Amino acid sequence: MGTPAVELQHVTKCFAKVVANRDVSLTVNTGEVVALLGENGAGKSTIMKILYGLYGMDEGTILINGQPVQIKSPADAMSRGIAMIQQHFSLVPTHTAAENIILGNVHGYIPIKKYEAKLRQIAQDYGFDVPMDRPVGQLAVGQQQKIEILKALYINTSILIMDEPTAVLTPQESDSLMRFIKSFTAKGNSVVFITHKMKEVMEVADRIVVMRSGAVVAEVRRDETDEHALAHMMIGQDIVPPVRAAAAEEEAGQEVLRFDHVSLREKGGTELLRDVSFTIRAGEIFGIAGVSGNGQDDICDVISGVKQPTEGALYFCGEEISRVSIRQRNAAGIGYVPVDRYRDAMVMDMDLAENILLKGCFDKKWVSRGFIRRRELNRYTDEIIAKHRVKATGWSDLAGGLSGGNQQKLVLGREVDVGKRLLVFNQPTRGLDMGAVDRIHHVILEEKEKKKAVLLVSTELTEIFEMCDRIAVMHSGRFMGIYRSGELTTAQIGLLMAGVSGEKEAAQ
Amino acid sequence: MRKKVNVLLYNTGAVAVGLLISACLLLFMDVNPAEVCAQTLSKIVTDKYNLGEVLVKATPLIFTSLAFAFTYKANLFNIGAQGQFLMGSIVAVSLSLALQDTVPTALLLLLVLVGSFAAGAAVGGLIGAAKAKFSANEFLVSMMSTYVVTNFMDYLLRTSLQETKAEYMQTDAISAGAYLPNILPGTRVHLGFLLAVAAAVLVWVLLSKTSLGFQIRAVGRNPFSAELGGIRASRIYIIAFLISGGLAGLAGLTEINGVQHMLLRDFNASIGSYGIGIAILANGNPIGCIFASILFGFLNIMGTTMGRLPGLSIPASIIELIEGIVMICVIISYALRGYMENRSEKQRMRKAGV
Amino acid sequence: MLNLLTRAIMMSTPLLLGALAEVYAERTGMMICAIEGIFLIGAWGGFVGAYLSGSLALGLLAAVAAGIAMALVYAFVTVTLRQQQVVTGTALNILAVGVCAFFQRVLFGVPTTPLQIDTLPKLPVPLLSRIPLLGEIFFQQNILTYLAYILIPISIFVLYKTSLGLTIRSTGENPVAVDVAGINVNRVRFLTVLAAGGFGGLAGSFYTVGYLGMFTTSIIGGRGWIAFAICFLGNWSPKGAVLGTLAFGLADAISVYFRTGTTVFPTELIIALPYILTIVLTIFRSNFQVPAKLGVPYSKEN
Repeated sequence: MGTPAVELQHVTKCFAKVVANRDVSLTVNTGEVVALLGENGAGKSTIMKILYGLYGMDEGTILINGQPVQIKSPADAMSRGIAMIQQHFSLVPTHTAAENIILGNVHGYIPIKKYEAKLRQIAQDYGFDVPMDRPVGQLAVGQQQKIEILKALYINTSILIMDEPTAVLTPQESDSLMRFIKSFTAKGNSVVFITHKMKEVMEVADRIVVMRSGAVVAEVRRDETDEHALAHMMIGQDIVPPVRAAAAEEEAGQEVLRFDHVSLREKGGTELLRDVSFTIRAGEIFGIAGVSGNGQDDICDVISGVKQPTEGALYFCGEEISRVSIRQRNAAGIGYVPVDRYRDAMVMDMDLAENILLKGCFDKKWVSRGFIRRRELNRYTDEIIAKHRVKATGWSDLAGGLSGGNQQKLVLGREVDVGKRLLVFNQPTRGLDMGAVDRIHHVILEEKEKKKAVLLVSTELTEIFEMCDRIAVMHSGRFMGIYRSGELTTAQIGLLMAGVSGEKEAAQ
Repeated sequence: MRKKVNVLLYNTGAVAVGLLISACLLLFMDVNPAEVCAQTLSKIVTDKYNLGEVLVKATPLIFTSLAFAFTYKANLFNIGAQGQFLMGSIVAVSLSLALQDTVPTALLLLLVLVGSFAAGAAVGGLIGAAKAKFSANEFLVSMMSTYVVTNFMDYLLRTSLQETKAEYMQTDAISAGAYLPNILPGTRVHLGFLLAVAAAVLVWVLLSKTSLGFQIRAVGRNPFSAELGGIRASRIYIIAFLISGGLAGLAGLTEINGVQHMLLRDFNASIGSYGIGIAILANGNPIGCIFASILFGFLNIMGTTMGRLPGLSIPASIIELIEGIVMICVIISYALRGYMENRSEKQRMRKAGV
Repeated sequence: MLNLLTRAIMMSTPLLLGALAEVYAERTGMMICAIEGIFLIGAWGGFVGAYLSGSLALGLLAAVAAGIAMALVYAFVTVTLRQQQVVTGTALNILAVGVCAFFQRVLFGVPTTPLQIDTLPKLPVPLLSRIPLLGEIFFQQNILTYLAYILIPISIFVLYKTSLGLTIRSTGENPVAVDVAGINVNRVRFLTVLAAGGFGGLAGSFYTVGYLGMFTTSIIGGRGWIAFAICFLGNWSPKGAVLGTLAFGLADAISVYFRTGTTVFPTELIIALPYILTIVLTIFRSNFQVPAKLGVPYSKEN
């Protein structure tokens, strides 16, 4: 194979509090697909961002085709044929695909029609079907990703880095992506594929580099290994799934939450939810699976009170609450752990006690005659910190100073107390390390034992299968079906997630 | 705690640098800055009356800076404090002229207090409502509202409020029965100063110790999380603007009943924008606003005293010059402090052998 | 009536220059909150330049320079140092008053009669100015107005049909996309703010060099803020800026016209008309297309 296309040698990178990469060395050969496998926080994104010029390294060397180079910016990287497609696309949503692709690659007057035609041709060559003249913000996520890829192809990239590319795709869209990767590398280009999903690695990678806690722990060829070995290398220990109560027929508990033909339409006419009906009973964990962005967040918004249904009604313990205020819902005992804790669950500049107060500022327990009962609040906060093993010195720590996992544990601790009857979790373990994920799963099962109703929205099928009693699959704002746990295979769920309706009757 | 001391150090340093630069500009006037500054300082510090003037000037500034800082906590921009102050002044002078000599002073002052607060709050409340109901950009609306209120005041001064002599565009002077009592004989310092300090303390208590204050700060930092906590941002916007406007309106009481004793055109035309600058200097902290206002009052007196030094003709505009330069220096010091704090954090990590 | 319309076009000129400048800057994500101060320092710079040199052209050049100088400070603090834009703008607006008044005194002392300069002459465009009605309104104006005419199509073309315009528009919507495309985001913002400062200074000079022929610190009277508002209400597009400017120019002209004559409405109401109009429009205009990252400083390692 000759000189490797890219060689990273002894790269070290520190951020303010964390060593992100510790003496990392890896090579990428021409025509090769390298999978960079590891848990969240392993350092995979960081090392690639260094290669792409987004970060500077504290120590180390980069060699391109055997020559040492300095990469100080994405412009440098791109001039050497390196392009990176990140998890959050860097597209301008109000501009068209053509405008996004040519940004930075044109000078002077732009005859936009000519560019659109040229780009349509390139897209066809790769089998992509993407409209060139519509605002990118209106397109499906899979199509947006294709536009990002076209951006890289347009500037003659030979080394393509992709960061968790299938996180937002349906199984079928992922297959399409794998096909592209194979045809791209067949032409002599290289791909580095950052992921934490074993299945994709085994499907398309030539070589696998496993990272853990900022360092490379293993490097194997695909034909020399299997999923179990990789999982072991990735985590460094065996996973112990939480013990679930035997799947014997449990007593059907009281109805806690009921969606009755709920539809939600946005002001612009977009239909977010279409005729959704389901019931969750006490002591039950109800899961919603699906690619994110298909209405799961809207279901949570309707339950929490942020949005009101355009049609249909919402019932809580038998009473209609479709238009009841958020404040009353909190008081009634609905707890909610949102998907984006930075935006929706915490105020990073406030201390932990005040973050707890966010859900309690109307509660007589914490406010008397308008004044905050600081001593009681601080004590309660310390209790939560202890009970849920949040790594913090005390109630006076700033929320922003905690790690992601500990922030989530604090939110969890707050919500399980607020949610006396119903708990809503939206992707509660996203982006967290194994220890935190484990803890959160244990807590959810504990709350189920306390006979609370639990709604769990997740994009991780393993989590859904392990935790839920019943599973609904969402696509385009609709429930494709509601199934008992164990009734569906992954392939079947994949089809449902993509909007292909199953033949099985849905069990209500 | 160290952070707060840091802030104080950097801000003080910035003020000092700003003053130094301003002093150098005096060279343009062919004067010796050191000499002029020394002369000015001695004139102020040795004269009880002048020292009192510092507090007199600071009083309305405390109110307008509190007004801006209060809405700033909710991440709102009330640029209309000047207009809210003028509305408060209109009510203050009208009530005083109507009730003076028929109502005992204490009661009159109380009524004027309530009235000027309400007037400012009304203007503020309208702006807050526009923001709450129509998502209007409160920056623009409040900015424009000052011009509208100023013209409204001019209209009143020309017509219904005009002095009986009908010679100038100003009201009659209010009688001594409506004056705010003097608290420091030998100066013009009046009760309004204590009112301002009390207001600042009350605002501080409100913001840090009450549920409402918490809700305001939560909405200011993160309206989404606040919403999920059951706090409705639109309600908070209106409340914040009501209180903010009311605070600015109270400056009407202090300036009409405590200092000028009448309403005229171009009445304290800059206290609104100075209030913004002071709030910035104080980092939005209500207690800090007291001290920063006194500082600005001091700069103001320095400017007028310099202007009165015999022989030199230093213009009054030196005040704006000094204040503008000091504010820019403080803003730059924020950046500097952020950078230094970041760097020391990184160094600490490196030393920890990471 | 004819006079009124001609006046309206004339009064629109500085508003248009300022609004276009603000549109470009805000499209990159920078609100120029120092616009009122830039107008003022441009007015003063223009006056001083014209007075000292005797040439109106040099006056205009000085105005542009003054505007750029103030914009330089603003850009340094808000783009390079990433500080809050409203707060910095307020500081500079106050500083502008101080600088103008102080150095006016330094240069000219206390004159017994107000200093005067000649104002820009009306330059009738050959042929076009002879068109009945339209000719007199549009083509018998001063050079700044003609400059504004030319700028309208140019600004539309540059913003929507050139790579510079694409870059500018992308910077305000998603600076990360621009950074990733290899363009220095802060440089785009910095230079755009400087250019906007130049045009803002020119706009301010209209009031001294183009119209009144003398300088006072209250000469701008909030019109910089109206240009700011027009950018907002015109939906951040040059076309919207033109429409907004015409509306306000008309309001301004009406208020000047009625101030000198007698009318049933109180003069103060007439004077307040442009401001009231701004408030009403700000409240009732919805459906904006705000640049997504307006007012948000950009730094790489977030």
